[in-house]
Amino acid sequence: MALGAATTAEPVAARPSGGLGRFVGFRILSGLGTLVFVLLFNFFLFRMLPGDPAARYRAVKNISAQDLERIRNELNAPLLEQFWDYLRDPLALNGVSAWKGQPVWDLVGGRAWPTLVLLGSSTVIATVVGVWVGIRAGWKRGSRFDKVSTGVTLLFYATPEFWLGLLLIMLFSSGIGPFPSLFPSGGVIDSGVEPWSLDGVSSIIDHTVLPAAALSAVYLAEYSLIMRASMVDEQSQDYLTTARAKGLMDHMVRRRHAVPNASLPTITLIFLNIGFIIGGAITVETVFSYPGLGLLTFEAVTEQDFVLMQALFLVFTFAVILSNILADLLIAILDPRIRT
Amino acid sequence: MGTAAADQATEETTAADEEVIFRVGVLQDIDNLNPFKGITAAAYEAWALTYDTLTGYASEDFAPVPRLAESWEQSDDGLTWTYTIRDGVTFHDGEPLTADDVAYTFNRILEGQVEKTNYGSYVSQIESVEATDDTTVVMQLKKPTPIMERLAVPILPEHIWSEVDDEEVREYTNEPDAEPAGSIGSGPFMLEEAREGQFYRFAANEDYWGGAPNIDGVEYRLYRNADAMVQALKNGEIEFADDLDANVFAALEGEEDIEARSSVYYGFNYLTFNGGAALVDGTEIGTGHPSLEDPQVRLAIHHAIDKEALVDRTLDGRGSAGTTIIPPLYPEHAEPEDPITYDPDEANRILDEAGYTMGSDGVRTMPDGSDPLVYQLYSRQNSQTSQTTIQFLQGWLEDIGIDSTAQTVSESRLYEIAGEGTFDMYEWGWVVEPDPDYQLSTFTCGQFSYESGSGETIYAGLNDAFYCDEEYDRLYEEQATETDRAARAEIVQQMQLMAYDANAYVVTEYYDYLQAYRTDRFTGFVPQPDPDGAILFQYGTYSYLNIEPVTGAAAGGDDSNTGMVLGGVAGGVVILGALAYLLVRRRRHPAADVE
Repeated sequence: MALGAATTAEPVAARPSGGLGRFVGFRILSGLGTLVFVLLFNFFLFRMLPGDPAARYRAVKNISAQDLERIRNELNAPLLEQFWDYLRDPLALNGVSAWKGQPVWDLVGGRAWPTLVLLGSSTVIATVVGVWVGIRAGWKRGSRFDKVSTGVTLLFYATPEFWLGLLLIMLFSSGIGPFPSLFPSGGVIDSGVEPWSLDGVSSIIDHTVLPAAALSAVYLAEYSLIMRASMVDEQSQDYLTTARAKGLMDHMVRRRHAVPNASLPTITLIFLNIGFIIGGAITVETVFSYPGLGLLTFEAVTEQDFVLMQALFLVFTFAVILSNILADLLIAILDPRIRT
Repeated sequence: MGTAAADQATEETTAADEEVIFRVGVLQDIDNLNPFKGITAAAYEAWALTYDTLTGYASEDFAPVPRLAESWEQSDDGLTWTYTIRDGVTFHDGEPLTADDVAYTFNRILEGQVEKTNYGSYVSQIESVEATDDTTVVMQLKKPTPIMERLAVPILPEHIWSEVDDEEVREYTNEPDAEPAGSIGSGPFMLEEAREGQFYRFAANEDYWGGAPNIDGVEYRLYRNADAMVQALKNGEIEFADDLDANVFAALEGEEDIEARSSVYYGFNYLTFNGGAALVDGTEIGTGHPSLEDPQVRLAIHHAIDKEALVDRTLDGRGSAGTTIIPPLYPEHAEPEDPITYDPDEANRILDEAGYTMGSDGVRTMPDGSDPLVYQLYSRQNSQTSQTTIQFLQGWLEDIGIDSTAQTVSESRLYEIAGEGTFDMYEWGWVVEPDPDYQLSTFTCGQFSYESGSGETIYAGLNDAFYCDEEYDRLYEEQATETDRAARAEIVQQMQLMAYDANAYVVTEYYDYLQAYRTDRFTGFVPQPDPDGAILFQYGTYSYLNIEPVTGAAAGGDDSNTGMVLGGVAGGVVILGALAYLLVRRRRHPAADVE
C-alpha cells in the first residue's frame, strides 16, 4: 500500500523535519489502527440491524414458500462462519451486491465519480467564497459587509441542504414566474452522450450546478463564520500591532500576518469535511437523484444490502481517516508548534 | 455558460436525428436486468419490452391471449399441453426463435434453483417440456392446472444463455456489455444503454413480429424524489411520470398539456389480525391477544372501521373501500351481497353480546374477566398510508372499548414480527396477479410460519392472518386443478367470500395507480383493463406499441435556449440584489441608533 511506503520514510530524520517525520509516521499508524477497528466493528454493526432481509422477496410475483426458504438458507450462514468469511475478505473484494447482483466494487466505482465531481466543485466554491467572505467580514468587524454577510451566512448555515435543494429545483428547474427552466431536475448526465466528450462534460456541468450550489451553501456558511471568528480573535494580538508599527500597509498586515494565523481552524475544518461530504451528501444526492455514493448508501440501507453497506462504510471510513491525516499534516506544516 | 452550450448541443442533435424517444420517469430502480434475478416492477417492465412471453394478458380484461404461442390445446385429461410457436420470429441479434428456445427456457427453470425464484410457480405442475419440431412445444403435467394458459415466462435465446451456467447466472448482469452479450430477446424494444442508477435506453425493434413500434425508443429515467420527477414532467425533460402519490398528483391536475390519470389497480391495503399464530405443524407461537381468535371480535372491529374515511384521508379519494382479496378490476372478484358497514354501535353490540364486558376504565376484558383488550399495532415506516391508517384505527378501537399501542417499523422488521406472531394487528398491502392462485394461497393452512432447519429462528409464511379452514384449503386445491375458466371463477369467488365472512383481513382500500403524461407529446395510450386501467406498467406492452408522437410537436426537444438562460440569470441577479439591498437597509437603522 502507498501508506506503507510513507511509514518507511520515518528513519530519515534530519533535524528540522525529524519531528515532522515521526509525526507523520505516528498519524498514519494510528489511522491504520482505526481502519482495522472499523472493519471489525462494521461486521457486527450491519448484522445488528433488525428485520428479515427476505422481506423484499415477499413482493415477488408468486414466489413459492420453498424458494423463499432456499433464499433464506443462502443468506443464513452461522454468525461465526460469516465472520470467518468476512475476515478472509474484509475489503469485500469478491463481494456481490444482493440488491443489484453486481460486484460491489463495480457499483461503488460507477457511483464514485459523480460524488467526486460534486464534492470537488462544492468544496472549491465553499472554500474560496467562504474564506474570502470570512476574511473581509472579520477584518472590518461591524462594517456593512460584515453585517450583511453574517446575516446571509447564518441563514445558509441554518438551512437544511435538502430543503435548499428542493427550493433550487422549484426556482431553476421548473421555472416559476420570470425564471425559465434552466437546469435539469435530476441525474448527472443525459443518455446517449459520452462522458468524456465535450457534450458529455457540459451535460455533467449542467446537471451538477444545482446540487453543488445546495451543498456548497451550507459549507460556505460554516467556513466563512469560522474564518470570521478567527480573524476577529487575531485582531487583538500584539504581533499585529507590531506589524502595523513597522509601517506595513493595512492589507499587507492582513495578508502576511493575520490571515495565515487565522486560517488554521478553517483549514482543519475543510479537510475534515471532505471526508464527511463523501458519505454525507446523502440528502442532496437523493433530492437531485444524483447517482453518487450518498444515494447509493441510501439505497443500500433501504435494500438491506449488507455487502454493499460494508464496502461503502469502508470507503467512508477510509475517506475520513485520510482527510484527518491530511488535515493534521497540513497544520503541522503550517504551524511548527504542533509537531512536538 | 456551459449550460447554454449544453442545451444548444442537445437541441442540435435532436433536430438532426429527429428521434422520437418516449421518456418515462420512474421512482423505482431496475434492480437487475437478469430475468432470473431482478424482482422490482421496473425490472419486469424492462423485460416486457425486451422479451416475449409464451402467452400474454389481454388489454381489455387480462384474459389469456397468444403471444409467442400462436395457439395451444390440452389433451382430454388435461395432462398434455401442446403449444404452437409463432413462425419467423427472430431475436434481436438476428438468430431465429424456435420451439427449442422455448423448451430450453422452461427446462432451465425446471432444473434450476435461482431460476425458480421468479418463475417457479409456473412450472410447479410441469413434468417435462419438449420441442417436437421447430414450432411445437409439448408439456407433460403431473396434475392439470389453469396456469398453463398464463405462462408469462420471458423466452430466452438458448444460444446465449447456454453459455451462462447455473452458478454464473447468480452474477450475470444481462447488460449489453456483459459476457455473453445480454438483453437479447425477441421483444418490441432492444436495450441500448444501461446506466445503473440513472437511466435505461431502449431502441425500437423494427423487425418485431407484431409490427414495428411507432416510436424510435423508450427511456426510463430514475428519480429518487417525486417532486423533482414532477418538475421534470412539467418542463419537458420526460413525457411520462409513473407511480405518483396523491399529493404531487393533485398538484398536476389542471396543468396545461398534462393529463393526470387515476387508474384502477390490482393492489390493496389491509389490516390483518393475529388469528392465532402457529407454526405449520400446529405449535402455538407469538403473543397474539386471545380475543382475536374469536371471529365475533374481528367482525366487531370490521364494523368499527370507516373505510371511506381512510380512502379520503390516505388516498385523497383516489381509490375505493375494499372488501375481498381479489380486486374488482379482475373478473374473478367477488363482491359480498351484504357488506360489513361502518357501524360502531353494531360493533359495541356484538362485543357486549359476546361477553366482552366494558371495564370501568372504558376497556373491555375477556368474557372470563381476564386480559383487558389491549392490542399491539404496527405500521410500516415507508408508507404514510400505513401510519395514518393505524392512527385512525387506534381511535376507532377506542370507540369500542379496545385500548392499543402502536409502533412504526421497517417492512423487513414487520415481516419478522408477522412470522413470529408477536402482533395483534398491522397494516400492509398486496399486489394481486391476474391469476388468483397465489393470492388465494395466502390464506391456506400450509402458509403458516415455519422454523429454520436448525430450529432457532421462525420465519413468516404467506399467511399473516393465521386463518386456517379445511373447507377453504379443499377449495384451493380444487381451483388449482380446474382448467375451465368459468367453473374456476366460481370457486375462486366462493373462497374470497369465505375469507371475507371470517374477517381474516379487513381489506381497507383498493388504491388507484396515479400516472401523468404530456398530452402535447404522445397520444394513443391503451388502458388495461379497458377503460379505467393503468396506461403503463401493465401486464403487456400495449401502450408502448400503440403510442405515437403528436404531430407538429418537437419530440424529445429541450425548450430552453441561450436567450432564456441569460434572461433567467439576469432575473436571478436582480432578485438577489434586491434582497441584499433590503437586508442592508434593515441593518443600517439599528446601527444608526447605537451611534
